[in-house]
Amino acid sequence: MEKTLLTVSGLAKSFGRDEAAVSVLANLTFDLPAGGSLALMGRSGSGKSTLLNMLCGLEPPDAGELTLFGQDHRHADWQRLRRGRIGVVFQEANLMPTLSLLDNVRLRASLAGQPEAHCQHWLDVLDIGDLAHRFPDQVSGGQRQRAALAMVFAMSPDLILADEPTGSLDRVTADEVADSLFRLQADTGCALILATHDAELASRCQSTLDLAHRTTAQDAAVSKP
Amino acid sequence: MTPFSALLSHYRRHPWQGVALATLMLLATALWTGIHHLTSQARASLSQSEQVVEARYQIQRVDGAALSVDDFVALRRQGLCLMPWLEVLPEDESRRVIGVDPLAALCFQGQGDVASFDGQPLRGDPFMDIADAAALPARQAQLFLIVDPDSGALSDDYRITDFSLAPDTGQLGDSFLLNLDALSVLVLLITGLLLRSVYLLSLSQRRDSFALLNRFGVPVRRVRGYLVVELLCLAAVTLIPGILLGQILANALAGGFASVMEGLFDSRQLATAANTWLVPSVVMMTLLLLVCAADWLIPDKLRQSAIVGHRSGGLAGMLLVVGAGGLWLASDLLTLFVAVALVLAGAGLLMPWCLSALSSRLARGCKRPLMRRWWAEYGVLCRRLALPLVALQLSLAMVLAVQALVTTFEATFDRWLEQRLSADYYLEVPTGAEGRTAAHWLAQNLPASSGALWHRVLRGQAQVQLGDEWQAVDVFALAPVGALVTDWELFENVEQPWRKLAAGEGVLVNEQLAYREQLGAGDSLPLKLAGQIISMPILGVYPDYGRPAGEVLMAGDHLPDGFAVSFESFSISPGSIGIEAITGALSELWQEPSLTVRDNLSIRDLANRVFDQTFALTRAMTLLTLALAAVALLLMGWVFLATRLWYFRLLEVWGMARPAIFLRLLSLALMVSLSAAILALPVGIGLTWVLVQRINPLAFGWSLPMDLYPGFWLELLALALVIGVCIGLLMHRQLGRPAVRPSVTGTVTGEER
Repeated sequence: MEKTLLTVSGLAKSFGRDEAAVSVLANLTFDLPAGGSLALMGRSGSGKSTLLNMLCGLEPPDAGELTLFGQDHRHADWQRLRRGRIGVVFQEANLMPTLSLLDNVRLRASLAGQPEAHCQHWLDVLDIGDLAHRFPDQVSGGQRQRAALAMVFAMSPDLILADEPTGSLDRVTADEVADSLFRLQADTGCALILATHDAELASRCQSTLDLAHRTTAQDAAVSKP
Repeated sequence: MTPFSALLSHYRRHPWQGVALATLMLLATALWTGIHHLTSQARASLSQSEQVVEARYQIQRVDGAALSVDDFVALRRQGLCLMPWLEVLPEDESRRVIGVDPLAALCFQGQGDVASFDGQPLRGDPFMDIADAAALPARQAQLFLIVDPDSGALSDDYRITDFSLAPDTGQLGDSFLLNLDALSVLVLLITGLLLRSVYLLSLSQRRDSFALLNRFGVPVRRVRGYLVVELLCLAAVTLIPGILLGQILANALAGGFASVMEGLFDSRQLATAANTWLVPSVVMMTLLLLVCAADWLIPDKLRQSAIVGHRSGGLAGMLLVVGAGGLWLASDLLTLFVAVALVLAGAGLLMPWCLSALSSRLARGCKRPLMRRWWAEYGVLCRRLALPLVALQLSLAMVLAVQALVTTFEATFDRWLEQRLSADYYLEVPTGAEGRTAAHWLAQNLPASSGALWHRVLRGQAQVQLGDEWQAVDVFALAPVGALVTDWELFENVEQPWRKLAAGEGVLVNEQLAYREQLGAGDSLPLKLAGQIISMPILGVYPDYGRPAGEVLMAGDHLPDGFAVSFESFSISPGSIGIEAITGALSELWQEPSLTVRDNLSIRDLANRVFDQTFALTRAMTLLTLALAAVALLLMGWVFLATRLWYFRLLEVWGMARPAIFLRLLSLALMVSLSAAILALPVGIGLTWVLVQRINPLAFGWSLPMDLYPGFWLELLALALVIGVCIGLLMHRQLGRPAVRPSVTGTVTGEER
């Protein structure tokens, strides 16, 4: 039997107060096994990023249950989890602008308690080893995203949360970055939750959660491809 | 790679920002330390001087010759309790040291030891052993003999006088120092604002990095801890050199300041070792931590609502109203200073709020989109540069107040000199000599055609009835009442006060007495004089420039018989006749070989020179503060506008010519700096009013005239324009460089919403 990494039950989140309140997520239920991959689909504003933020403890849910690594979200040490077990890749701004690519990876590894010696290796694996000493503003968007992936893999996470990691890239570069992401995820055996509006990218995940219509979010279900 | 080194990487990547922040911290520290050093040194020296000359008497030779060791020996042999007091101005020092003989001092003090004097060690600050003092290479040295007047009788060759060398300016010196202290507090406030603005700017540029670290699991508290460590490191690097620089600055100016104090305040500037490390270090470190890290102590919600929200206008208004009420009603200095702080805080909060509200209103009213955008961009600048703008506003206000204060002091000192040194010479009537015969001689031998002016001053005591009590006042009786006094500026007076005074139809009172007892021209003053009670109308109130005792000025020709004269003197402007002829004749008349004559002209000349120096120094210090605030605004305007450059580039992309964009940038920069200057005017005028009309009367019982100098306002406005042009030119340079597209909206937000 597959070990369950993440269980979400009846999760809800809204922003604003009283009459101005906007419900972003309501009664959301799903789970994710260890090593599994899940695509979060939906248009802008459907709650993909909000859900990812809740899954890494940056936003508290208004209601519902969220259990990650066997820890209830109310009692989880989120900072510790983000340091060592959850890797987050955003659409952009994943890197410290004042550190070189290599130093960014080293920082992430050291925070996770992983050896810094392997950091260059991860840059090499992602084909940007020769750019190790460049700063983020000296490389292209695709190269920055690969560096962000290198940072995440250097920490040996159990779960990767990726928020539109290829959203700002051209098709070719996006495919290269996605290839790297899925290849390394398979190699390391970590779980992946990927927020995207790209159906082709989502289809590479084991399962998909459609958050497209807020009104139907409560009926959302994990569909196996 | 640790989070701390990752945080510090900002300064590795942008070293000039680190250098700018450190430089500003260093300069701010140096500035405040310099001002603090000067004022505390001046205060300590004045206090030391007052202490050492307090209630002491000296011996002088009747023939006016300088005292020598032979005099000391002769007098000691007569059994007098004497102490040699050798004042030496070393060649390379600006302050004097005093050589004393502790053994000789024992006969004054009764007890003590040979290694100290008045409880102070003989280390040269200011006291040292007389043998060491005599061995110093000196620009100037003078021997005094301090005597216990009750220790024995003097021979006819000597006389005992007070150990004081110049006329007493009373509390004028204290007043000046108090005002300097108030300004030093204001400079500290401005320094704090500048430090905070520069630090917040550097933080705002690193906000994304903090957020990223938080996403990586580094707790916010730990990031703040790193920032405090970083701040302490920065402080260690900048504060110590800043304090050192401040001391160098102060010492460079101290020579001038010492001679100024010596000349102005009748206090010999003695060597005084001030503790100049501890106070500036503690104050600056506290200030740095307070202004940079205080936010973390305030809950986020409260801070947001207090500073950013719409309530800041209301809060500012409330502070202003309460502060203004305090200024008006305060009956003690502490309340007054608190009220000043409230008003300044209110003004500081109000300015960005006002400008922001104004820009929103004007933007809404504009039909042309470009103009609307101009006003919106102006509002953004006012909000984001609020702190350096407030610092500039307060600096400008301070410069304005100091300029008015110093110019007023200058004019007051001039009038004080005119009043006290109105004649060219001052001549004491020797003990036992008859002033009346001299007055008779002068009346006969100094005809008006010679251009000579003179009057005789009889000084004594009287009592005035104030309520149910009789209080002692000093009486100055003048005869004749002539041109030497009729030019005095009176605060209030009846018709023809001087003619009526000369006719004995009333008296003049000094400001101190009038202020204290609420007396005015036309009031009747019951006076007990030589045992008689007479009621005299008050003809006018004259300024006393800080002399705390009550004074009554009356005509000498109408003094009642039996008036006890305690001191008698003549003020003489000899005209074409020459003072030597007059002193020679009076010397013969009085059978006195040597007369005490003071050359008022040379004293006035010296005083004028030192006044000019002190006022130049004060202006220099405030201008330095202004320069610092201007540089801060320049730097921050430059850095902040650089982050908005992308949006100006859009205008170029949309087809606007670059010169036209530059003009828009220039006009924005000019408008921002000019706004600060215009809003500084009311604050500066208010501050001037507080300094001269509220602090002085509360502290000393007398006020300075409230003079405004609109010409200087124009100079300040021009200066603000120069700052604006500098920012505009820097932006012009930036405009030619490639602009980085903002990747995260948070870095360039102007709080437009």
